[in-house]
Amino acid sequence: MDRGQKLFVQSCGFCHGNDATGSRAPDLIRSTSVNHDENGNTVGPIIRSGRPDKGMPGFPLSDAQIADIAAFLHSRVLAALNSASVEGDYPLQKLLTGNAAAGKAFFEGAGGCTGCHSSTGDFAGIGGKYQPIVLQSRILYPGGARSSVTVTPPSGKHVTGTLVHIDEFIVALRDDSGWYHSWPRAQVEAKVSDPLEAHRKLLYVYTDANIHDLFAYLEGLK
Amino acid sequence: MKLVIWFVMAVAAAYGQGLDPAALLRPPTDTWPTYNGDYSGRRFSPLKQINRDNAASLTLAWAYQAHTVTIKSTPLEVNGTLYFTVPDNVWAIDARTGRQIWHYRYESHGGDHIGHRGVAMYGDWLYFTTPDCHLVSLNAKDGSARWNIELADVKLGYFSTMAPLVIRNHVITGVSGDVTDIPGFLDAIDPETGKRQWRWYTRPSPGEPGAETWPKEGDAMSHGGGMTWMTGTYDPDLNLLYWGIGNPNPVLAGAGRLGENLYTCSIVALNPDSGKLVWSFQPSPHDVHDWDAVQTPVVFDAEFHGAKRKLLAQASRNGYFFVLDRTNGKNLLTKPFIETNWASGIDNLGRPVGKPSKDPSPDGALVEPGSDGSTNWMSPSFDSLTGLFYVSARRIFSEFYLTAEGKAEGWGGRDRNIWANSVLEAIDYQTGDIRWRHELGRGEGVAGIMTTAGGVLFTADNSGNLVALDALDGRTLWHAGAGGRTENCPMSYELDGRQYVVMAANDVLFAWALPEKY
Repeated sequence: MDRGQKLFVQSCGFCHGNDATGSRAPDLIRSTSVNHDENGNTVGPIIRSGRPDKGMPGFPLSDAQIADIAAFLHSRVLAALNSASVEGDYPLQKLLTGNAAAGKAFFEGAGGCTGCHSSTGDFAGIGGKYQPIVLQSRILYPGGARSSVTVTPPSGKHVTGTLVHIDEFIVALRDDSGWYHSWPRAQVEAKVSDPLEAHRKLLYVYTDANIHDLFAYLEGLK
Repeated sequence: MKLVIWFVMAVAAAYGQGLDPAALLRPPTDTWPTYNGDYSGRRFSPLKQINRDNAASLTLAWAYQAHTVTIKSTPLEVNGTLYFTVPDNVWAIDARTGRQIWHYRYESHGGDHIGHRGVAMYGDWLYFTTPDCHLVSLNAKDGSARWNIELADVKLGYFSTMAPLVIRNHVITGVSGDVTDIPGFLDAIDPETGKRQWRWYTRPSPGEPGAETWPKEGDAMSHGGGMTWMTGTYDPDLNLLYWGIGNPNPVLAGAGRLGENLYTCSIVALNPDSGKLVWSFQPSPHDVHDWDAVQTPVVFDAEFHGAKRKLLAQASRNGYFFVLDRTNGKNLLTKPFIETNWASGIDNLGRPVGKPSKDPSPDGALVEPGSDGSTNWMSPSFDSLTGLFYVSARRIFSEFYLTAEGKAEGWGGRDRNIWANSVLEAIDYQTGDIRWRHELGRGEGVAGIMTTAGGVLFTADNSGNLVALDALDGRTLWHAGAGGRTENCPMSYELDGRQYVVMAANDVLFAWALPEKY
């Protein structure tokens, strides 16, 4: 593929762009010939014969060279197909646009974060615990925190535990001894306490600058 | 009356157990002959045996276990047979018992198997789109294939999931593409021969009106997306076909396609006989959030601020509810139906104006809704008895990242979902005000809606419950834990004097009815 890229830049890049996205000649990532190609079987003849009617000269390349160019073009197509990826390897430098001092001020002030978190307690070293993009997502809404619920049946003897499920019709919990219980919602009082409620409220409050500042601050807590 | 009976008998004789397209012009009672039940897209059944007073006693009539992937199609019901699909598969089952009559398997060569919405019917024939972007005509009697045509090249990234729409002798068929930079189009296919009658590309040609909404140089317009994912609607009196058009490509990267990018993210009106564009309205000009406008363009006639109007309404993926005059596409109302944070206002044509700060960026922009949308493909419903437009709405926060460097290809970025919950909303179509809300729970609901003349609204919540609500106020009338997620849209029909309501959960179809004593 690297060989193919070099060859492509030398022979094709001037017209098709060094990254094959087109310039004076068409974008090859979007090309029917490239998308139908297998190991150079459709692009090879075009490279060798050219397209005289469109001003493209032929290039006398070997089978191996054609296969290398085809491999490069297929890698470019694959990169386009995977262009929707923002996974864990997303580069830190793209995310680090905020002001850490402003982030600290938001954390300790308007954000209300210190109501639950501490930079020297649960967040000590948090910048090293997660991949950067995962940390940014978790700042906004960390998964996994379980709600607790207190259910009061008509008998009046309430049960508290970890919320397992709640919908319009049923509430279910796991009690402190590990047993599961469920009740029809219509017959009991259910009071849910969700530790992530403050995170949801902030989604309506944040500016994007707040988010980037907060990220810069927490990412720096190594 | 005699003439009507003669006509019905003649149709029955001509089509055996099949479907005459004329049935598409009648309200869906004993027949549910097309994806949305009728041309209007209202998803309103005139049946009222099941009503708000007795819905609490609904009981299981039958269940059909398809042993397959999640069912996302709406079954058709014609002459006592239900026809439904998942990608590569069509079933015919007995609408009285849920017993299988036949099962057709298609062998696709590649393509996206994301979901399938169902078949269309004309005479004795079914029309089935495939993941490798073919259209297959099947014999409704036994599921045997009659012909199979290619709509577009699967290797360029085309596929098809939609249920075609039959208008007279046109099988109107759309295509999908999710990643690659390919142009969308709508085809009219001859129901007998499979020959194409016309093709309408969802972008203008160079020099045509609308071309000025794309860069002059380069290939942005000819590779600009605009897929025709979902079944459109039709007004027989105006002879206008209404279709919602998908988002532009590259999906999140707009720098290479400056301009409004017509006719992406638009509602268009076409002449179904010629495929010529009559008017268009664009809910999301220059979209960079994957907010296609393929949600059902619902057609109804009603009073609008004192005057009787021919209306078209869409609750669009971008979070806004639009009402148009469907004779000319003029905007009558634009109003958000759920909280959004991406628009700074509404322009003089009734289109929301996006804030540049909410475009995807390398360091992320927090946007409500996320790319999955404030609503999506699941059916809305309009009930003329309540005057309310119902939509499955979602509150979705998502962080949008732009990854493209240089010329963008494909998506050029992506969003990461942060948090979501769902709510069923009843919208006053004259004001856009929310008359009532019924919360559906955490996550992104994708169940469709049907309303009925019995005053009952059917849908599903996010916890595996099928529910019936009072269409007037949203109170719960009935529910059943179906043990799975509902990703299709409810439909209803009457057979032997009994009204059935059919909904899926996972890969099981459930038919509900009143106990037999009714």
